[in-house]
Amino acid sequence: MRRAWKIYRLLASQNLKRLMEYKADFLTGAISFLIDQAIGIAFIFIIFSQIPQLSGFTLEQIVFIYGFSQIPKGLDHLLADNLWCVGYFIVRKGDFDKYLTRPINPLFHVIAETFQIDAVGELVVGISLIAYAAPQAGLQLSVVSVLLFILVIPFASLIYTSLKIMTAALAFWIKSSGFIIQMVYGMNEFAKYPTTIYSMPVRIFVTYIIPFAFTGYYPALFLLTGENPWFNIGGVVLISAVLFILSLLIWNKGLKAYESAGA
Amino acid sequence: MIYAEHLRKEFKKTIKEPGLKGSFKALFRPKKEIVVAAEDISFHVPKGEILGFIGPNGAGKSTVIKMLTGILTPTSGECRINGHIPQNDRKKYVREIGVVFGQRTQLWWDLPLQETYLVLKEIYEVEEESFKKRMAFLNEVLELDSFIKSPVRTLSLGQRMRADIAASMLHSPKVLFLDEPTIGLDVVVKDKIRQAIMKINKEEQTTVILTTHDISDIELLCDRIVMIDKGKNVYDGSLQKLRENYGQIRELHFETDPESPLTEEQFRQGLPLKESELTIEQDKQTFKVRFNSAAIPVGDMLSHTLSVTRVKDITVRDADVEEIIRRLYQEGGQADE
Amino acid sequence: MNKLKKRYVPFMKAGVQALVVYRMNFLGFVIGGLIYCFVMFYLWRAVFESNGGGLFMGFSMTDMVVFLFLSNTTNQLTFSSVCDNIGEEIRDGSISMRLIKPVNTDLSYLFSELGTALMKMVVLLLPMLLGLEIYRFCVTGTVMFNGVQFLLYLFSCVLAYVISFRVNLCFGFMAFYVKNLWGISILKNSVFNFLSGSLIPLAFMPEGLRLCLEYMPFASMSYTPVMIYMGKYSAEETALRIGIQVVWALLLYGLSKLVWFRAVKKLCVQGG
Repeated sequence: MRRAWKIYRLLASQNLKRLMEYKADFLTGAISFLIDQAIGIAFIFIIFSQIPQLSGFTLEQIVFIYGFSQIPKGLDHLLADNLWCVGYFIVRKGDFDKYLTRPINPLFHVIAETFQIDAVGELVVGISLIAYAAPQAGLQLSVVSVLLFILVIPFASLIYTSLKIMTAALAFWIKSSGFIIQMVYGMNEFAKYPTTIYSMPVRIFVTYIIPFAFTGYYPALFLLTGENPWFNIGGVVLISAVLFILSLLIWNKGLKAYESAGA
Repeated sequence: MIYAEHLRKEFKKTIKEPGLKGSFKALFRPKKEIVVAAEDISFHVPKGEILGFIGPNGAGKSTVIKMLTGILTPTSGECRINGHIPQNDRKKYVREIGVVFGQRTQLWWDLPLQETYLVLKEIYEVEEESFKKRMAFLNEVLELDSFIKSPVRTLSLGQRMRADIAASMLHSPKVLFLDEPTIGLDVVVKDKIRQAIMKINKEEQTTVILTTHDISDIELLCDRIVMIDKGKNVYDGSLQKLRENYGQIRELHFETDPESPLTEEQFRQGLPLKESELTIEQDKQTFKVRFNSAAIPVGDMLSHTLSVTRVKDITVRDADVEEIIRRLYQEGGQADE
Repeated sequence: MNKLKKRYVPFMKAGVQALVVYRMNFLGFVIGGLIYCFVMFYLWRAVFESNGGGLFMGFSMTDMVVFLFLSNTTNQLTFSSVCDNIGEEIRDGSISMRLIKPVNTDLSYLFSELGTALMKMVVLLLPMLLGLEIYRFCVTGTVMFNGVQFLLYLFSCVLAYVISFRVNLCFGFMAFYVKNLWGISILKNSVFNFLSGSLIPLAFMPEGLRLCLEYMPFASMSYTPVMIYMGKYSAEETALRIGIQVVWALLLYGLSKLVWFRAVKKLCVQGG
C-alpha cells in the first residue's frame, strides 16, 4: 500500500512536471471545462428566470444538486482519465504491452499515469455552486449528515471509475471501445437533475442499471431532506462496491484476451 | 532457463473485402477467420546464452516474444522461464526480465530522460545504492551522459534505443528480450549497441533473446540461432553448424564476352545438378550462379563455364550467412528434414 | 466539371467509407446525442409542468420536442470535423502529404466530408423527420409537414454546413499555436452549442443577447434552419435569415482562405 502511494505520487509529479512544460495547454483545458460548465449553469438560470420552481425544487436546490453532481465527476476525471485512452487507442495500437511488462498492477499503472488537471474546471464549478446554493437551499445540517456527505464523495466517484473500467476493458476483445465508454459516460447527464423529472423506466435505468443517479441526485437529496440515509447514502456505497468488483472481474478477464497489435 | 514447449497462438480476425460493397458486407455480416500466428514453436535457452531468434516477416517472432514476456496468453503450449509461467505469476516474473521493443519506447516522452529512470527505480524497487551503481555501469556501457538531461522527444533514434535498453536493464534482469534493437540505425550506432549487448551479457551472464533482420547482428552476437517460419521451427542450432551444413554453396560470378552470347538454358545444359542445387541470375552479360559444391567440384564448374562461353572476368566465393539464411527462408520447413 | 468529378469523387467515397469503418464511433456519437436530447426533453417537460402547461415563451411542448431533436440532428448534419482532422495533420506533419497532391486542399476536405454528410442525411435526418412528424401528428391530430419549409430547411442546412466548415477550418489552424487541441475542441463545441441556440432557443434569451446572437454566424449554423423548418419565421424573416447566412458564408470563405494562406507560409518556414 505504501509502495503504491509512493509510485502514485511519483507518477503524478511527473505529470505535473509535464504540465509545467505546457502551461498554455493546461490553461486551455481547464478553461474549456470551466466554460462548458458555466454554460450548463446559464441554462438553469435562464429557465428559472421564467418559473419559480421545478418539480418542487427551488433554483438553489437545483443548483445544489447540479453542483454536487460535478464533484464526483470531476474527481474521476482528475484521477482516472487515462481509461479513455485505453478504450480509444492504447489497446488498439498495442501500447498496452508496456503495462504488462512492469511489476505493478496494470490497472493501477494505467490510472496512476495520468493526472488530468483539466478536471479543475469541474471541481471549481461544483464547489462554487455548492457554496453559492447551500445557504438558501434549506440543507438539513448536522455533524453526522455533513460527515456522511463528504464520506460518500469517493464512493460516488468510484461509480464513474468502475463504469469506465468496465467499458474500457471491452477494448481487450473488440480493440476499440471508446464509443461505448462515451455512450455510457454520456448518461451522467441524468445525474445533474432530480430523478423525479424522469418517467419511471428512465428513473429505474439511472438508479439500478447505469446508476449515475447515485453520483448526484440521491446523495444531494439526503443533505437537502435528511431522509432515507440507507438508500441515499448507503446505496452509493453498496452500488459502487458492487460495480467496482464487477469491473475488476471484467478487466482481469480482458487482460487474458489481450491480443497486442501487429501480430 | 527458458523452455518453450509447443507454443501456439491463434487470433480471430475480421475480414473485410475491398471497396464500398465490402464495407457494407462487413457492416452487416462480418466474416471471422482464425489466424494462426504461431503454430508449434519449441526451443530451450541455457543461462548466459545470446540467442538469435530469426525468421521472415510475419513468421510469428513477435507473437512468440510476447508470449514469453507474458503479454499474450498462449492458446496452447507452455513456456517456463526461471521456473515461472509468465501469465500466472506475471508480477514476480517481469521483475526478472527486461524487454525492449525496437518500434516502441517505454520512456516518458515529454520529460528529461533521467526522470524515466527515477520512476522505473521505484516501480522495480531498486535500492538507492544499487541504483547508483547500476546507472554508473549503464552509463559506461551505453554512454547516456551526453543526453540524460534532455527530454526524450528530442533524442535521436540511436540515443533513444540506448536509453530504452538502459531502461530495461535498470533492475538487473536475468533475461533480456530485444525485439529488433538495431532497426533503422546507422552502422556506427548499431556497432555501439552490439558492443553494449555483448558487454552486458559477458559481465552479468544475462541471457539474451534477440530478434533481428540484420544478419551482422547474428554473426557478431549470437551463439545460437532459432529460426522460425509460418509459425513453425525451421532451424535450431549453432551458426557454425549452419555454415557447415549449408556452407557447400558457392557463388560463381562471371561476365561473358559480348561476341559470345549465352543463355541460362545453354549454361544449364550438361550440368549434373538438380533444380534446387543451382540458381542462375542473369543481367545481360553478367551471370551470378549459385551451386552446391558437394554435387559438383568447383574445378569442374569452372571448366564447364569456360567450355560454354568466352568469359571476360570470373570469380568464385563462399556464400555468406545471409545467403544461407535466404535459402533457408525460401525452402521453409523442408530444410531440416 | 468532369475533371472536378474525377479528382474529388475519390475523396467523397473515402468519406462514406470512413463512416462505415468508424460506424461504431458514429453510432456512439448519435446515441450520445439522443441521450442528451432525452435528458433535455424530461427537463423541459418538468419546466412546462411547473409553468402550468401551455406555452412557454411562445413555445409549446410539441414545439420543444421538435426543436430539441431536430437541433441535435441538424447539428450532426452540419457538423464538420475538419477542425480536428486538420489539427491532427498539422501536428503529425502529414498535412504536407495533402499539400503535394494536385488538388485544392480545402476542396479535398470538403468532399470527404460531403460523403459523410450524405450518408448522415439518409440514415439520420430522414428517420428523425419521419419520427417527429408522426409525433406531431399524434399530438395535434393534423399533418404539420410543410414541403416548402422542408426544402428551405435543406437549403439553409447547406449554407449552415458551409459556414460550419469554414469556421472549423479556421479553428483547425490553431494547431499551429496550441497543443491541447482536445481542450479547444470541447470548448469550441460547448460554446457553439450555446451561441448557436441549439441548447436553449435564442428566443428564450434576454433581449439584447438574443439580438446580438441572431446576427452572429453561430445562429446560422443550426438555429436558422431549425426555425425555418418549424415555421417560426415569416416569409420576410426567412429571406432575411437566409440572407445573413449567405453573407456569413462569403465572409468566412474569405477569412479561411486568408488564414490558410498564412498557414501554408508558416508551414514552409517550419519545414513541415
